[in-house]
Amino acid sequence: MIVAAGSSCKKVDNYAAPNVTLKGVVKDASTGENIQTEQGSGTRIKLLEISWSSNPTPYYVSSYQDGTYSNTKLFAGKDVISAEGPFVPLVQVDNTGKTIVDKSQTVDLKEVTTVNFSVEPFLRIAWIGEPVINGDGTITAKFKFTRGTTDPNFQQNITDVSLFVNSNKYVGNNNYDNRYTPKVTYDGTAGNDLVGQTITLTTAGGPLPGKREYFLRVGARISYGLNYYNYTDVKTVAVP
Amino acid sequence: MKKYTYMILAVLLCWTTACKKLDTLPPSIVTDNDIFTNSAGIQAYMARMYSTLPIEDFRYSPQRGLNFFWIISPFSAVSGEALSRDQNGAMQESLTFDDRPTTWSLCYQLIRDANYFAENLPKYASNFTPAQVNAWLGEARFIRGATYFALVKRYGGVPIVDKVLQYPQQSIDELKIPRTSEEKVYDFIAADLDYAYTNLPESNQVGRANKYVAAGFKSRAMLYAGSIAKYNQISLVDGSGNRLCGIPAAKAVTYFKAAYDAAVLLESKYSLYKKSWAAGDKTAQYQNYVNLFFDATSSENVLVRQYHYPESVHGYDAYNVPRQLMGANGYSSEVNPTLNFVEMFDGIPKNADGTIKTTTGGKYDLYTNTVDLFANAEPRLRATVILPGDVFKGISVEIRRGIYTGSSAGGISPLLPAGSTAHYPADHIVQSANASQTPYKLPNGTTMNPAGLSGYFTGDGTCSVSGFSIRKNLVPDKPTSEVLENRSDQTWVEMRYAEVLLNRAEAAYELNSLGQNDKNYIQDAFTDINLIRERAGATLLTGAADLNNINVIRTERKKELGFENKTWWDLRRWRVIDKEQNSTIYRTLMPFYSANDGKYFFDARLDERNSRYTFDVRWYYEQIPQGEIQKSQNLIQNPGF
Repeated sequence: MIVAAGSSCKKVDNYAAPNVTLKGVVKDASTGENIQTEQGSGTRIKLLEISWSSNPTPYYVSSYQDGTYSNTKLFAGKDVISAEGPFVPLVQVDNTGKTIVDKSQTVDLKEVTTVNFSVEPFLRIAWIGEPVINGDGTITAKFKFTRGTTDPNFQQNITDVSLFVNSNKYVGNNNYDNRYTPKVTYDGTAGNDLVGQTITLTTAGGPLPGKREYFLRVGARISYGLNYYNYTDVKTVAVP
Repeated sequence: MKKYTYMILAVLLCWTTACKKLDTLPPSIVTDNDIFTNSAGIQAYMARMYSTLPIEDFRYSPQRGLNFFWIISPFSAVSGEALSRDQNGAMQESLTFDDRPTTWSLCYQLIRDANYFAENLPKYASNFTPAQVNAWLGEARFIRGATYFALVKRYGGVPIVDKVLQYPQQSIDELKIPRTSEEKVYDFIAADLDYAYTNLPESNQVGRANKYVAAGFKSRAMLYAGSIAKYNQISLVDGSGNRLCGIPAAKAVTYFKAAYDAAVLLESKYSLYKKSWAAGDKTAQYQNYVNLFFDATSSENVLVRQYHYPESVHGYDAYNVPRQLMGANGYSSEVNPTLNFVEMFDGIPKNADGTIKTTTGGKYDLYTNTVDLFANAEPRLRATVILPGDVFKGISVEIRRGIYTGSSAGGISPLLPAGSTAHYPADHIVQSANASQTPYKLPNGTTMNPAGLSGYFTGDGTCSVSGFSIRKNLVPDKPTSEVLENRSDQTWVEMRYAEVLLNRAEAAYELNSLGQNDKNYIQDAFTDINLIRERAGATLLTGAADLNNINVIRTERKKELGFENKTWWDLRRWRVIDKEQNSTIYRTLMPFYSANDGKYFFDARLDERNSRYTFDVRWYYEQIPQGEIQKSQNLIQNPGF
């Protein structure tokens, strides 16, 4: 009995642990800058492993908020890789199910593999100058947003803009201090009229408590699909 | 030796003969033959199907799913109708709670039950009249259609299973049925409900479908389909061109027309409940509206789900009574209507922007009693919401935020700037942290508790956190000794004629706005809305021209069907909830007693607890449980999950 039980152990599943690293960055095709996003609910990398099946279940890797991504525990294999996020979709399917755009990449994953993507963001948002601390203890920031694509299919109305404030560097629509963060919503085409203009937003809720740092980021979004936000990079403001 | 031989023979003889009687089914197993040969068996089968019909009733909450007793995270505190201490934000339905089956799997179990019934009943048809068989087949199709509606409104297009799946006779690959398009699922529902309408009788047992119930459900489902076609922006198309999420805009007219036509079928078969209604008598209209949810003979009830203590129960009263009427389990006041909800109604003083008016010239208006502010309130509002100071179970429900002790010379200025989420300044205000209060001595020498008996308490949330408490569906004469969990058994009204009228009005308005003029749709919508408003005791529309905005109809729907677990789905199918809940804080109304005036004033403010609501756009198509995709890899997940 014991011999039988022991010998059956020889058939243990000894497939090697996953050790392949996949990393890269999602960049703006025109400016070369990283596409800023939010972690968890923003950009994600979609992996379809076609080594075994022609109809695989997708596996997703969330990107960091600065647009880079990395996963160090993947299995080696052949994958079709694309990205989803606040930019013109890399894979587009028409109403008949025909793939009309396919910028996904077929990659042999092994050791350390780097896969980058060049995309057209829905919106580009740029700081104008540095955020300033006002006399009343609030912070004011200036910025502008412009369209990141000339394709009219992805130029829906601009619906929201917000100056996200948080007490740590992870800041965005998924993670912000709602006491101080001003949010502006636009009806109809009102937001579109502000494209290219300087917009000024001041933190809400009175003076920010002092002797600490705040992390600020501007986000704006259009009414397309899952309404992803585009962002600026994060600015740090030390309130004395 | 011979003796032994006989003994062995005798044993063998007994043994083998006994074996003949072993080949019988255990009596504890119910077979098809027990069920399908007599009407009592059919009724038992039906009872099981109806008891698992996926409707959001007294036993539903998004946190814990269908048919579960513990409802402390009420659905109405997800939709913005109410605030609750245990539900402080937006959410989609939880995929799993503990080890409970998902809504997805519950629905497919019921679909299998309905398919099994429809396939097997005809084999036993000789036991019944053809009319009976047809009616029951219609009923099974009604249940299947209603169940598919529960699926499609959550997930979009889902796999269509229209027969009993057999394993292992069918291969695993054959059983991995892919999702079909959202449009085809709605068409499938329409076909099932049409079949049910044709085959069901005019009337049926209470709690079961008749042909008009099928028509009513069709009007509901088709209205959803039309709304998706018109307002949805999300698309997911599979490799074969099936649009799993979204319906082509061109189909909007077809679906709204189907909704309208189905709603018309109920005309003169049901009517708005007006048994104790009297024109011009607000008290009678109020009482009539309260009674409508408790009168078993109501002409308005289209489909109900009955409960009966002790074998089939819920806890709606225990969880939701005002704090001062709390039962022995220690639950109370989970549903506290928001000021946003209350402000939709007529008969309260309002500012130009439609918000409640509590100040004049920058100073608070003063009232002798809290309920005076609502002296002329629409009867439907009083019957839906317990207003501060109004009477419930013979007791005045006392809701008071605190006592203002500051000077009242020249009037009292607002305690906080507009739009503030801050706590009230501690100076000049006496308040209570919980229900054990220290009475405050008023200038006239009498004493008063800082907070009302039903709140507001600053420390624990076991009170009215919005300044209001729910009245709709609470039993008006239930003794406090019976206000316990699993002790309530009032009937859930899943569909009433008021909803059918509102379906009809909305479909008619949408048809008119889409350029359809084969009927005078706008006049029809006007008539429907005024029927609702008249019974409610609300201000009537003066003419069809008043219907100049879809929001007139939508607001009427929100008012009439408030706290009936319908509003969240409506906001969702109109695709407006992501704008309505975008870091949103709902409004509350806080009554204060001014010690120096001896009178009350009201502060309308944003929820002091700073509960923010943000609807994630992904929730327009909910996540398909990952376990289902692992079982059936042809299922494509909804966008973003």
